[in-house]
Amino acid sequence: MTEKIELPQGTLDLLILRTLLPGAQHGWAISERVQQVSSEVLSIQQGSLYPALHRLERRGWIKSRWGTSDNNRRAKYYELTQRGRNQLELETEAWRKLTVAVEQVLEGA
Amino acid sequence: MLDDLRYRSHALLHHKQVEDELDEELRFHFDKQVEKYRRSGMSEEEAKRRARLAFGGHEQVKEDCREARGTSFIELTLDDARYAFRQLVANPTFTLVMVLTLALSIGANSAIFSVINGVLLKRLPYAQPERLVRIFLSNNEYPKFPLNPWDFLDFRARNHSFESMAAFTRGDVQLSGEGEPIRLNGFGITSGYFRVLGIHPQIGREFDFQAEVPGNGLQAVISDRLWRTRFGADPNVIGRKVTLNMQPFTVIGVMPRGTEHPGNVYHSLAYGESVDVWWPFSFGGNSNQRGSHFIEGIARLKPGVSVEQAKAEVNAVMGQMAHEHPNGDSGWNVLVIPLYSEVVGATRQMLLVLLGAVGIVLLIACVNAANLLLARASARQQEIAVRLAMGAPRLRVVRQLLTESLIISVTGGALGLGLAFGGVRALVALLPADFPRAHDIHVSGPVLVFTLLVSVLTGILFGLAPAMQASRTDPKQGLKHNTRTTTTSRYQNRLRSALVVAEVGLACVLLIGAGLMLRTLLNLIRLDPGFQEDHVLTASISLPHNRYNSGELTAQFFDRLAAKMNALPGVESAGAGSDLPWTGYDENAGGFNIEGKKSEANQQTHARYHMATAGYFSAMGIPLLQGRFFTEGDKKGAPQVIIINHAMAAKYWPGEDAIGKRITFDDNPKKDDDWMRVVGVVGDVKDQPNSPGAEPSFWWSEYQASEPDMSIAVRTKSDPRQVADGLRNAVHSLDPELAVADVKQMNQVADASISTPRFTFVLVGLFAGLAILLAGIGAYGVIAYTVAQRTPEFGLRVALGAQPGDLLRMVLTQSVRLAVPGIVVGVTLAMSLGRVLQSLLYGVHPADPIILISVTLLVLIVSLLASYAPARRAALADPMSTLRAE
Repeated sequence: MTEKIELPQGTLDLLILRTLLPGAQHGWAISERVQQVSSEVLSIQQGSLYPALHRLERRGWIKSRWGTSDNNRRAKYYELTQRGRNQLELETEAWRKLTVAVEQVLEGA
Repeated sequence: MLDDLRYRSHALLHHKQVEDELDEELRFHFDKQVEKYRRSGMSEEEAKRRARLAFGGHEQVKEDCREARGTSFIELTLDDARYAFRQLVANPTFTLVMVLTLALSIGANSAIFSVINGVLLKRLPYAQPERLVRIFLSNNEYPKFPLNPWDFLDFRARNHSFESMAAFTRGDVQLSGEGEPIRLNGFGITSGYFRVLGIHPQIGREFDFQAEVPGNGLQAVISDRLWRTRFGADPNVIGRKVTLNMQPFTVIGVMPRGTEHPGNVYHSLAYGESVDVWWPFSFGGNSNQRGSHFIEGIARLKPGVSVEQAKAEVNAVMGQMAHEHPNGDSGWNVLVIPLYSEVVGATRQMLLVLLGAVGIVLLIACVNAANLLLARASARQQEIAVRLAMGAPRLRVVRQLLTESLIISVTGGALGLGLAFGGVRALVALLPADFPRAHDIHVSGPVLVFTLLVSVLTGILFGLAPAMQASRTDPKQGLKHNTRTTTTSRYQNRLRSALVVAEVGLACVLLIGAGLMLRTLLNLIRLDPGFQEDHVLTASISLPHNRYNSGELTAQFFDRLAAKMNALPGVESAGAGSDLPWTGYDENAGGFNIEGKKSEANQQTHARYHMATAGYFSAMGIPLLQGRFFTEGDKKGAPQVIIINHAMAAKYWPGEDAIGKRITFDDNPKKDDDWMRVVGVVGDVKDQPNSPGAEPSFWWSEYQASEPDMSIAVRTKSDPRQVADGLRNAVHSLDPELAVADVKQMNQVADASISTPRFTFVLVGLFAGLAILLAGIGAYGVIAYTVAQRTPEFGLRVALGAQPGDLLRMVLTQSVRLAVPGIVVGVTLAMSLGRVLQSLLYGVHPADPIILISVTLLVLIVSLLASYAPARRAALADPMSTLRAE
């Protein structure tokens, strides 16, 4: 089993927003998707996922609606709003800058 | 921001829906997880177990989501409130006792605070009232004395401390014309009087300097009330004539509603909208004669000038004046007193004592409530243990219990506010008649805020300790099933006993206070005033100078009136005097010479002077000690005579017979006419109901002195009110244009003079009664609780041979053990507080042994009564049920 690492503070929002970029997803799918794409390195605990979704919704970056899942059950879908897209861009750029800078320090020192 | 608000309010308003949806969402997630594990080959059981582990606490996730929604605080509070409400409804007796005791004590506090707010806290209704000061003179003989008119003019001209300065003096006027003539409260004022107060006439203007010149005085400024009642609020009233004292005055101004008289000392009239007419004070006569003091100063300080600075400056001016007029102006100090202290200063101490007393009642109610909550907390240990075991944080439990006490206290506060509305009305009705600003006392905005604040603070004060205590419950201990033997910690029992001791102590303080007030009141009632107040009808009549312009006419009028009254059936005697006892009259004459005695340079003679007719003393019931009363023979032209009181005889003719002795105000008496001969000595009438004795006084014969403003006194055989109409008829048959004012009975006057101590006693007594009742409930609660706890023990004792009487005694002893330290604490506290009360007491020492002993006995009796029922229950303990239970 691949070793899992703790999510650094503040990255959870970024991951959720990025995962929603292709289209609306329900909570479970979001956590599955993050886990898959990160080759099982990142996993989102349910205990933090749902409070995060509520928080993002309160900020107006995502919105929710009820839809039907693949096996015909009612599920709550989340999708990005325009403000969410802008936020995603901002945060992605900030993250890139951060990682480059951290890398430079690690190399240079 | 707006989205955020919309989101939060949606979450709040659709709380149930949002919660249900969250549930559904989480269940969906869970099922998906289980399905995933199943697909990887796990059994149904195993998959569910794993999913549950991965999921963590379901409740915790929901709580975190609520927090993320930003509505958790309100939702939690609503949750707590719902929970608390269920708890309270489930224990109606407990809730009712708590809410009612708090309602009573918070309501009492709100009512007293309404008085404090209206009287002490609300600003006086003048522009920048903190800059207004009153100006008086003072010397050894007269600590607070009016000004001489010329002194006032010098002050006004020479000072640099005041922005403006004015003077005023009481001078009631008689209004006649249409309808029955009436007497109106009036004041003579200098120009600028209203400018000093910062009140402008609503129509017209106030007096200018021209009006201060003698002869220009037939002008009047009238009150809004008079304008409406007498002139139909005529907007063209300016310039109209009005008949005052039988002379035509021209109305030049109408003051607005709420023009409050600032109160005065000389022929005092209480603060308030008590004045209807102002007339111009004029300065006439010789400016070098400065012995006559009868106008009062009021001034507005310049911005930045302190009262002390102003006082220093006007005293320097007084020094110059003393130099210029050594005869009249030396020996005086000038007092500059802030108007605020002048208006409410006298009531302050009493109101603060009442606030203290009612605060103590609230404190006792708090202690009581805390005690009840503590008792209940131990009964609820199990419930709390369950909540703690389920993972509720301790802080959450504290919060929940505090919510409960807050609901109780705020409900109590709301009910209390209702009580305060009624209480304030009763208080105002009970207030002494001359109490300042009584009409400013309402349950107003500040009172609402005060009540809310007090309710919340009360809830926290009595709720916090029990809540903390309860949250310390050990879940393991608490969950053990046998609640009956659940051991309450020793600490808790001691805390509860300490609370009862504190309660009893505080109640003792109030009881001792009430005892002191009662003795003060009784002492005042029992005082011999020096006259007989019952069966006397009094009234005042003022003869306008216009019609009664000679001494003969004045004397003749009062003589005829007395004769008409004496002819009425039921009348024993009738007379007239310049004043009635205890009505604020204070006329003084100084510097007379006594025949045959050298006046000592530094010891000026002085006495109060009055005028009286023949029948005055017997109508008032003032006894004649020596000599005779006045007769109609003591008239103008006859030898001048005076009657003196016992104090004057004792002071100036000690050990001698005063009858026949003579005094004079003339520095060089030549002829017999310059002397006044003492023809009678009468008993002392106390200057004030609570003064230790009487100042030296003498009476001139009205037939010689011809005072036009007189008080009528009629002594009757039965109810004096029956001759009131007779008096009016008698006056009007002599002169139909005269007003008969202030018709009342002398015992009303006497009654009014003790109304302040009576008011204080009634309230402190009421609070003390409430306090001892609450303390009794508190003691009962603790004793009943310990008896319930110890029932098995009692059962065992009975099984071992104890008699019911032994158990009864045991419980009663426990109660006395709580009461005794309480009494010790209370007495000690009362001793140290005694000084505060001193100024409100009369003839009783704060450490009065009779009061201390009666309070001790009363508290012991109450504590025995409180424990009697539980003690009976203990005595009836059934050994069988104990043995079965153990």
